[in-house]
Amino acid sequence: MRSAWAALIALALWQANGSAQAVDPATAFADDVHAAAGLTCTACHKAQGPGSYAAPARTAIAPLCATCHSDAGYMRRFDPQVRVDQFLQYQTSTHGRRMAAGETRVATCSDCHEAHGITRVRDARSPVAPLNVTMTCARCHGNPSIMKPLGRSAAPPTDWAASVHAAALLQRGDTSAPTCAACHGSHGATPPGVTSVANVCAQCHLRQAELFRASPKKDIFDAIGQPECLVCHNNHRIESPADHWVGVQEGAVCAQCHDASGDSAQAIGTIRQALDGLAASVAAADVSLARAERAGMLVDAGRLALRAAREQQVQARVLVHAFAAEPFNAAAAEGAASARRALDAGEAAFRELQVRRAGLGVATLLIIAFLITLWIKIRRLPDLPSS
Amino acid sequence: MRGVRAWLDERLAFSDVIDALRHKTVPHHRYSVWYYFGGMTLFLFGIQVGTGALLLLYYRPSAAEAYESVQFIVTRVPFGWLVRSIHAWSANLMVACAVAHLFSVLFLHAYRRPRELTWFSGVLLLLLTLAFGFTGYLLPWNEVSFFATRVGTDIAAAVPLMGRGIVRFMRGGDEVTGATLTRLFGFHVAVLPAIASGLVALHLLLVQRHGMSVPPSIERQAVHDPAAVRAMPFIPHFLLRDLFAWTIVLAVLAALSTFYPWELGTKADPFAPAPAGIRPEWYFLWAFESLKHVPPTIAGINGELIAVAVMGAGALAALLLPLLAGHTARARRAVVWVGAVALLFMALMTGLALSAAAP
Repeated sequence: MRSAWAALIALALWQANGSAQAVDPATAFADDVHAAAGLTCTACHKAQGPGSYAAPARTAIAPLCATCHSDAGYMRRFDPQVRVDQFLQYQTSTHGRRMAAGETRVATCSDCHEAHGITRVRDARSPVAPLNVTMTCARCHGNPSIMKPLGRSAAPPTDWAASVHAAALLQRGDTSAPTCAACHGSHGATPPGVTSVANVCAQCHLRQAELFRASPKKDIFDAIGQPECLVCHNNHRIESPADHWVGVQEGAVCAQCHDASGDSAQAIGTIRQALDGLAASVAAADVSLARAERAGMLVDAGRLALRAAREQQVQARVLVHAFAAEPFNAAAAEGAASARRALDAGEAAFRELQVRRAGLGVATLLIIAFLITLWIKIRRLPDLPSS
Repeated sequence: MRGVRAWLDERLAFSDVIDALRHKTVPHHRYSVWYYFGGMTLFLFGIQVGTGALLLLYYRPSAAEAYESVQFIVTRVPFGWLVRSIHAWSANLMVACAVAHLFSVLFLHAYRRPRELTWFSGVLLLLLTLAFGFTGYLLPWNEVSFFATRVGTDIAAAVPLMGRGIVRFMRGGDEVTGATLTRLFGFHVAVLPAIASGLVALHLLLVQRHGMSVPPSIERQAVHDPAAVRAMPFIPHFLLRDLFAWTIVLAVLAALSTFYPWELGTKADPFAPAPAGIRPEWYFLWAFESLKHVPPTIAGINGELIAVAVMGAGALAALLLPLLAGHTARARRAVVWVGAVALLFMALMTGLALSAAAP
């Protein structure tokens, strides 16, 4: 499934490159937010003659846009709440700093927003709308022929397409799911530093970040220069975490630093055992409840307990980020107790069903006996005379 | 004991009734098995009244409490699950028996003079049974019933001029809300039972007054072969057979209620989007499916309006059948053909709807 999304990104990249060349500036500008505001070609272009306009140099594009977009007094006329710090942010970005140094292959305003068909970000057609922004970044950052000369990898967009974030956005349609701009910034786009990664992730994963900061790992990671969350979760290809990540066996993320010897291996093993036990209890309870439900029993109380167990399982998984036995053990034990209640409810429902079936069996026997009696009585009645 | 009986008999004169029943006979012939469907429908109606009264002890007719009260009945009240399941299953079996009874009366031409009023009351009772089903469907206030009621009441909007008014009357407002639940509950437990009780009494009285009808084909056969129709004493011959049929119905009900307890589903959320696969009870499926196949406009007229008009005309024609059908053998054959086509159409549409809903 994820490779399918990667292929989709590649296809979109190819299409986007093709379509970008095919759009006629005059046609595109007719649907431009600037045209709607009453601006014309000469607002950005110097006229060279009737119907002929000079394109601004790439290094001049951002300052040109900033003449209006950094002017709060001017912009207020169109939108009282519009931000005017884009150019300032751009100047701090990798794009802006390289552009200022004369590297014209890096992105400027028109590369992301288009030059003549600019729409508002909230417009679904905008190349920087949540569903499109990764495709837009991928036009350069997913293209090896552009990235390789700049000494950068072209893998991030395809890695992101295989991530849980991409699945949330593209499969579930959750437009709050993080795209490139959520972690790197938009106008001030730059990779987060080693010590600021946790702050970036904490925008959404607040609880995990809090636990990590309070854990002994924080100081250790800072001391050895490890990029916090990324050590275990990767950066762009952030996969759905699994219980088997915890452990010192091959493939487990803890095994990157810990081996099977020492106290830490035992602590890791205890946490893993509790996670596996909780997952098994939840699965067993689910099977038990499903079996009762298939038999037509109502097990709402059991389902409620199972929901609580699942919530506590999520909570326990989050508490792994404390890198300590407590409060993880308490949450795991609470989850196991809830799962046990759900399992008991499922089994009780099934026992109740057996009682009902036994009751029906007795009732059916009585009814059959009554029917036989009736039948014998009917057969013994005198024959009917003709009408 | 004998003294009590004599005391009551002096005041109620029930020995006259028992004496009349002892002398009452029922025609017995090769089609007389169909006579029992009327009794089975009556038996199921009795079960509906009994189980409905038990459910009323715990049910709360409000949007906030209806679902929870039914949940309480099926999970906490001793044998509540059984009572609710029997109520739901017997409602469905009652519709099936009533439909079988109506078509058997139609195919055996039992609607003929002097039984026109018996037919009228019977058709009205079938319509009332369907109304019982429609009004009772929403009462658990679950997701499926909520949206099915919304779709069902929407159909009435196609009626010209009065459509919106009818919808507002049925819903107690513009939308299906707690007011609709309260309203349909009132109809389900008070208005419809009152009307149904009166009609059942009239129907039974007329059946006793006129006796069972003998099909024309059997009447003709009896001219040459007197054994084709025999007189069966109501007591005990017919009554025991009736009791036999009722006991079978009871056994089927018990098995269905135990092995297939009626599901409660999830609580209705008026703000949630309608889930996929919303459909009414099986006995309304044919109408539901028919409306799906009607084009939006027919000769410039709203297609749904035409479909509703045709269905309404069909129901009216069914009600007035004794007045519309002629007395000749040819007219009777026409009635059989029309009835068979109608039955086939309903079966086909129901089958289509069920196959579309199958996973």
